[in-house]
Amino acid sequence: MKIFSLISAVVVGVALIYGTMDMPEWGDPNSPASTHVSPYYLEHSIEHAATPNVVTTVLADYRGYDTLGETTVIFTAGIAVVLLLRKRRKTGGEDDE
Amino acid sequence: MNDFVLGHYNYWMFIGLMMIGFYAMMAKKNLIKKIIGMNIFQSAIILFYISTSAKRGGVSVPILEHAAGGHGSHGVDVAHYANPLPHVLMLTAIVVMVATLGVAVAVTLLIYKRYKTIEEDEILMKIKEGSSAPKELVDVRSQKDSIKLRTNIEYRTRNVEL
Amino acid sequence: MIIPFDIILILFIFICAIAAITVKDLLSAVMILGAYSFFMCLLWTQMAAVDVAFTEASVSASIGTVLLIGAVYKTKRRSKD
Repeated sequence: MKIFSLISAVVVGVALIYGTMDMPEWGDPNSPASTHVSPYYLEHSIEHAATPNVVTTVLADYRGYDTLGETTVIFTAGIAVVLLLRKRRKTGGEDDE
Repeated sequence: MNDFVLGHYNYWMFIGLMMIGFYAMMAKKNLIKKIIGMNIFQSAIILFYISTSAKRGGVSVPILEHAAGGHGSHGVDVAHYANPLPHVLMLTAIVVMVATLGVAVAVTLLIYKRYKTIEEDEILMKIKEGSSAPKELVDVRSQKDSIKLRTNIEYRTRNVEL
Repeated sequence: MIIPFDIILILFIFICAIAAITVKDLLSAVMILGAYSFFMCLLWTQMAAVDVAFTEASVSASIGTVLLIGAVYKTKRRSKD
């Protein structure tokens, strides 16, 4: 079983290394990730939101709904943990010690 | 060749970290070890995203200078700041990572409470024997009984009604 | 990004990751995972991602470590592999 896990992990790693051959170089300023929409955020942050920290502007102003969804995820996780770990008193204590 | 290696070694490093996490999730028997492997896996993915946002040559953090004085957007040199968009996405991903960790730890505690062990093979053995987990069997049996009882009662009431 | 600093940090991160999944004492493994998270913070700081770095340091390296220590305290400390 361990040999099988090792072989499958190495196969996945080799496939991913083959995939990085076409990636842009690390730190390239003209890579596609840095040219599409992030210059717009950097240029218009002061004008639209008057905030020098661009990460805060994008997190709270441009992509506020994303942050709202993240809060929903944390709330759901908290509710799940509380429901899993609470002490069951009324419904027969058969699985409590 | 040297330029190619210098431009791509960071991606290979994150792939190595991801393989370590993946192997730990599959091969380790202990549940806490599996959770640790999941944490390493997620950190490697976040490292990959942050790597795409780095820029070469004297790049500063994405906080604009001289923001108080200038009113317009004239002075912003885009090549001088790192790309802020992957940072924002990865802030979300880190918080979701901790939420996942919390739920995984809660499920592990419940498993320990029922089976008194956190080794995967022992848990599977105990499930197969059915010795340490009689509750499920009893549950299933009583559920079947109650269903039979209920259908019986329904049958009788229907008969009475008829 | 400073390439020698980057290589040294990645070396430490690899050592911490391999040690965290091979140590048999679970409390040690959790502690090494905390060290791994802090080295990851340093790596992101040198890639100019300071917001991500301090979120990782406050959320993942501290709250995650505390959750895992709680889990180890409630369950067994020794692991078989």
